[in-house]
Amino acid sequence: MTRGLDTFLAAVPWPERVGLRALLVLARRPRGARLLARSPLLALALDATLALGRYDEPTLAARLGWDATAVAERGRALRRAEGRP
Amino acid sequence: MRGRTVETDFCVVGAGGGGAVLAAELAEAGARVVLLEQGPGHDPDGFTARPPEMLARLYRDAGQTTTIGSPPILLPLGKGVGGTTLVNSGTCFRTPPHVLARWRAEFGLELQDAAIDACFERVERSLSVGEVTPELAGKNAAVARRGAERLGWSHGYLRRNARGCVGSGVCVFGCPTSAKQHTGITYIPRALRAGAELVTNADVRELSIEGSRARGVVARVGSGQRLEIRAQETILACGTIHTPLLLARSRAANGSRQLGRNLSLHPATAAFALMDDDVNMARGVPQSFYVDEFADEGIMFETVAGPPAYAAMALPLQGREHARTMAQYPRLAQLGLMVSDSSRGSVHALGRRPVISYSLDTADLERVRLGLARIKRLLQAAGASEVYLPLPPGLAPEMARPRDLRLMAFHPLGTARADARASHGVVDGDLAVHGLRGLHIADGSVVPSSLGVNPQITIMALATRLAFHLLGRPVAREPAPASTLAPTAS
Repeated sequence: MTRGLDTFLAAVPWPERVGLRALLVLARRPRGARLLARSPLLALALDATLALGRYDEPTLAARLGWDATAVAERGRALRRAEGRP
Repeated sequence: MRGRTVETDFCVVGAGGGGAVLAAELAEAGARVVLLEQGPGHDPDGFTARPPEMLARLYRDAGQTTTIGSPPILLPLGKGVGGTTLVNSGTCFRTPPHVLARWRAEFGLELQDAAIDACFERVERSLSVGEVTPELAGKNAAVARRGAERLGWSHGYLRRNARGCVGSGVCVFGCPTSAKQHTGITYIPRALRAGAELVTNADVRELSIEGSRARGVVARVGSGQRLEIRAQETILACGTIHTPLLLARSRAANGSRQLGRNLSLHPATAAFALMDDDVNMARGVPQSFYVDEFADEGIMFETVAGPPAYAAMALPLQGREHARTMAQYPRLAQLGLMVSDSSRGSVHALGRRPVISYSLDTADLERVRLGLARIKRLLQAAGASEVYLPLPPGLAPEMARPRDLRLMAFHPLGTARADARASHGVVDGDLAVHGLRGLHIADGSVVPSSLGVNPQITIMALATRLAFHLLGRPVAREPAPASTLAPTAS
């Protein structure tokens, strides 16, 4: 579990949070993964959540041309330079 | 329990698109205003351009609010000062004239053209609204433009509320440059400078009602302390989902039995395309270009885009195919579809949480099918080597059933709709709650029909009109305060 994904899950309302965490545990077990494969909707929800965390990782994102830290820092610098709120 | 009571002229609940406008306009006219906001204020120094963190911080329920129905629809809502204007894409459309005409004919709303135009102008000046340039729009918009031009479909660059935009690509995850002119950095500072009091983390529990008159609200703030606001006028601007819940908790405003009903959403989805050349979708303004060829049919296309984490979450593929396609993220383009819906849903409370019911009707299902087929044509015309529709593998759009669709929605409207007739609407044409003096509503909930375009300018224009109505003055055509007037760079 990445830090970003953990932060995200902590803010999700409890019924969905419990459900998503259960799916994450299930997906790690071979039988659970087979079960999930039979339910496209659940598999999709799980995949989307995992993808959100995985591709937020700076190393992977950087390989794809995205540097969140640089974007945020440039924003801060521009705001300060131009006296924006 | 100890508490505090504040007397004021106007109590505004909600610091999003509607409430912020009212607070600023009323305070600048010299009125005493208390503005209550359920969420926190946001410091842009904390905006990290990382989707999971920002979803958790800037959205209600981390952006996971979902409707119940066929299909379930994700309905992300902003939280805190600025409301959803903090996390929207910044697209600015005036209410289409045919929609205003429908409101006159069907709901008896007398919105005179000259008066509402003055409201649009005033809002647009305050928000520095201007058209995105092709350079700033980036290559994702260029893909959509190429496809639309080759097919001869009507299109254009969007107008947005931005100033000094450098195309950070994360409008919906908190603009790190404060280029997007959301109400938290435009109207709210104006309101505060004019003497309005803003209370954040104020959870309004109920309206105070005496006889047939609203007298303010009771809230819990900070660590549970009671705060009572006694006001001459109370204005609710908690948003389409939460305004009806507050009214229902207060057992108010449901003489028409329309409270919480008539919910429209603009169901939306998006397709991806793999292009031969790099697109780098997150470099530029994500929502910058539209195709309105089919607007008369209720189908609108707008570009959408975001960083890899966002794209990975939305890419309609699984397993190895997902990973293989994401490895080519720099070459991915994305185009969104939005439907002007005829389906209607409802919202009610389960405990203190909203339960949102909404199912796609046959006409809207057909719009989504048609829209997806046309998006595919457009992206292919633009030169896509692959198009990824948000449908199960191999399913043609015309065969899609509601349960096959992956829908989101960003524009909930109508749950306290305006109608001149007390038997048909929650508020009248002046946004006063039918049958209850001293109470108005100024958010998307009063918008009585689907708009077919992004609603923030409509909501803010209606709030402007209400502010001047409450002040008993015509809408001022003079420029908004100088601090908000700067050249639009985008």
